[in-house]
Amino acid sequence: MPDPGFWTLQALNALQLSMLLFLLSIGLTVIFGLMHFVNLAHGSLYAVGAYVAASAAAVGGYWAGFFLAPVAVAGLGILLYSGLIRRMRRSGPMAQVLVTFGLIFALLDLSRLIWGDLALSIELPALLAGRTALLGIEYPTYRLFIIGLGLAIIAALAFVLGRTQIGAMIRAGVDNDAMAACLGINVERLFFIVFCVGCALAGLAGAVAAPLLSVTPDMGLQILIPTLIVIVIGGLGSLKGAVAGSLIYGFVQTFGAVLAPQLASVLIYALLAAVLVIKPVGLFPAKG
Amino acid sequence: MNRKTLAALGLAIGLAMPAAAEEITVGLMLPFSGVYAALGNDIEAGFALGLETFGDRTDATFTIIREDTEASPPVALGKARKLIMQDRADVLTGIVSSAVLGAVRDIVHSSGVPLIVANAGNDEATGEACSPFITRMSFSNGQVNRPMGRWMAEQGIGKVFTLAPDYAAGRQMIGAFADSFTEAGGEIVGQAFTPFGKTQDFGPYLAEARASGADAVYVFYAGGEAVSFVRQYDSFGMKDALPLYGSGFLTSALYVDAQGEAAQDVVTALHYVPTIDNPENDAFVAAFREKTGRVPSEYAVHGYDAARALVEASATGAADRAALADALRQVSFEGPRGALSIDPATNNIVQPIYVYRTIAGETGMTQEVLAQTPAEADPVNGCDMAPLIN
Amino acid sequence: MFRHTPLRYGTLALLAALALFKAVTADYFGLEILTEILILAILVIALDMVAGFGGMVSLCHGALMGVGAFAYALLTVKAGLTPPLALAAAIGITGGAAWIIGAICARSHGIYFIMATLAFGQMAYSYVFQTPTFGGDDGLGGIARLDLTAFGIDLNDSRTFALFCLAALAASYCAIVGILRSGLGRSLTGIMHNEQRMRALGLTVWRVKADVFGLSGMIAGLAGALAAQHMMFISPGLLSWKVSGEALVVVILGGLGTLVGPIVGAAAFVLLKHEVSALTSYWHLVVGVILIAVVMSRANGIFGWIETRWTARKATRRTGPADAPLKEARTDA
Repeated sequence: MPDPGFWTLQALNALQLSMLLFLLSIGLTVIFGLMHFVNLAHGSLYAVGAYVAASAAAVGGYWAGFFLAPVAVAGLGILLYSGLIRRMRRSGPMAQVLVTFGLIFALLDLSRLIWGDLALSIELPALLAGRTALLGIEYPTYRLFIIGLGLAIIAALAFVLGRTQIGAMIRAGVDNDAMAACLGINVERLFFIVFCVGCALAGLAGAVAAPLLSVTPDMGLQILIPTLIVIVIGGLGSLKGAVAGSLIYGFVQTFGAVLAPQLASVLIYALLAAVLVIKPVGLFPAKG
Repeated sequence: MNRKTLAALGLAIGLAMPAAAEEITVGLMLPFSGVYAALGNDIEAGFALGLETFGDRTDATFTIIREDTEASPPVALGKARKLIMQDRADVLTGIVSSAVLGAVRDIVHSSGVPLIVANAGNDEATGEACSPFITRMSFSNGQVNRPMGRWMAEQGIGKVFTLAPDYAAGRQMIGAFADSFTEAGGEIVGQAFTPFGKTQDFGPYLAEARASGADAVYVFYAGGEAVSFVRQYDSFGMKDALPLYGSGFLTSALYVDAQGEAAQDVVTALHYVPTIDNPENDAFVAAFREKTGRVPSEYAVHGYDAARALVEASATGAADRAALADALRQVSFEGPRGALSIDPATNNIVQPIYVYRTIAGETGMTQEVLAQTPAEADPVNGCDMAPLIN
Repeated sequence: MFRHTPLRYGTLALLAALALFKAVTADYFGLEILTEILILAILVIALDMVAGFGGMVSLCHGALMGVGAFAYALLTVKAGLTPPLALAAAIGITGGAAWIIGAICARSHGIYFIMATLAFGQMAYSYVFQTPTFGGDDGLGGIARLDLTAFGIDLNDSRTFALFCLAALAASYCAIVGILRSGLGRSLTGIMHNEQRMRALGLTVWRVKADVFGLSGMIAGLAGALAAQHMMFISPGLLSWKVSGEALVVVILGGLGTLVGPIVGAAAFVLLKHEVSALTSYWHLVVGVILIAVVMSRANGIFGWIETRWTARKATRRTGPADAPLKEARTDA
């Protein structure tokens, strides 16, 4: 049996994967909770973020990409919102599935046209390269950085959603947007802000993932299903759900790979099915 | 390059020839979209260069019909049927994915259209499912990995942990290595197969490899997975304690620059690297660089040699399906990879394998050839090949 | 409840005539495409039955088709069953699997239903992909078509096979219309509109959902068995969620809940894909932009758009568009 260090290492791996998924799923789940909009193209925005980061990093180093990618993807989000999504709001989920499916197709090929088919990657700055001694093991500093970044964003979002006026407005909107509008909240502007922040977080997730994984045109499609699983297990629209879903996914995936490699790829789907049978709306839905 | 330019190229070659030349219709089946698009593009570039370089050795002209297989077996099978039944292709070439090769094998065999395989390496295609019409100019999974088992044992490496994606090619590559390594006295202390196309974080498996007590790790990954794997292996700082070896696709010239310094000192084996020292390769690398601005990868050389094999076969006067198939089986030449020939027992290529180390060069990563293992034919693997007609 | 309008009859007749015309005149590749359209059409009307008339938007119908294909292939190639028996068994097995999925997922709605069905589909995909008996990643070849030479029909001829698939589509369509008009189908539509009320009326809601899902699965299984016979080869990619996603896109593209629309959608999607991919390897971009454009036209897919135009012209004689409720029903699906 491997030593305790092995399990610490795996726990950190699981946590790191969870945090990456959290960055993606929080945007998707709040957009869905607030706007009832199924944005299947969320994964494609993440891929665009990774590509923008890779291009920017090639010129101005890692941090240029890290800061530019969320801004660029938020910009793309503004375009999508004003061009497509605002008009789609009342079209019902089926039309939304179709339009975001169309976006997946279009963004996939646009990335291929701009950045080619070859895998890209980003070199890490000296500060984040290398390893850090922690809990008796050596762990890659960059993975610790991802864990730290994820925790910081959870804390920041918990603060904004729980303690600020805009957070209260968002919660009111998730609960009942018509009622919120009656209370004088500019729901339309709220939607816009939330959508842009969600896109920026997807871009950030792309920029953060790029040095770890390879940047390929299909990375958006690859991450889509895990992200959807996270938000459905957690329950739609809630921060708590996104955190719980990410942690469950990260730990099941990581420890499944170690303890039951034969079942690794089936395990998470079995869990999803089990959760939905027992709690048909996920563990912590925003609305009972 | 699109169909028109290729056709124009064929035409240009045709114009230089005396009239009444044979016209050969070639179906080029490659993935131009999907996960293997980069490979398809490199093979096509190599194929075009090959026709351009060697085209004047034959009187025949070539019309290229380009089909996108999307690396999907059913799509590719549909396209193969179209090329054979409707376009009346005289010869097919390309095929990146082994699953696609498995899918088109029966239709190719039963309709008697020669197929020059320009990538797919599944052992069965030149083993139990071999066909006199399928000639492989690329490699077989076993061929690339077998020499590495012996070589690593000779270097005094005793215990190895293996990793590969969980699909047929991954299991064949690792299987061939493990067999020859244990035969040479080595020991496999652990194996993990990662879900194919779904694994992005190799962290859990790397921790397992480290805890296994191995002296080294031997892996097969390709494309995006290879880039992620090599980078993550390096970021965990495992290369010092547990040197990384593998099938040479791991650090292919096509994407080694995306791996960057993380690929430094990884030792792998492959049938082609751009730094092989021979005049044919020098000429090929220079010409490919001039056309594309890139260093050619093993995928490019598959296309280049497939084109050359086609030209050499048609230069014998073969023009119809049966004659071309027969001529392709007897092709042999000195190419960028060294001396190549076709094993008459299986129709698989016989070629040397190069063990190489990836090192930092003046412009990005490059390859230092450590050893060249002699060319040997694959075991027959249940292939019952019809003898040559002439 | 499903109703045939003159427009629907007209479209069906036109589609049938076009298919017949193509089946007689098309060259080899034209027949391949026709067959592809016909098999996809069988799958998407099965999906429309549950999604458009029961609000059960399934993301596992591709996987169900795959189950049918693998069942047929394994039973003929490995177990040595005769093709007719294998075909019946494949339909039965897929129907059973679908019934179980439908029963388990019956309590979920909306995106949760989509995700629950996705989970089952992906489980099937992963299992087939990893199991060597199923051919793994390499798939299975050497699949035989039905032998109808006793009736003077040779299905190995691609023209005959296309006609056979056309007959299968017609039979599936009639079966679905029959199901939707039966008591079961009426209960299903009732559940889609107001599940609470139907439960209050004493209906066992999950049974209705599971039964219809099972029947839909049988038709998807038929599509799978036909797909296996068409290609004479299958690979696990058939079960991947992308196939299910494409099927759903085709249903919406054609017109959800119109049954005729998805057939139009299948033809449009396959033709578009083939035409555009012959021109450029960036065909996803073109198809994506067209999908977005269709949605932005605010219609219920291609056929929905035609129907809205049609009814608008006749609206002077009525108080409101007769088929509009279908579109509204969609929004709370």
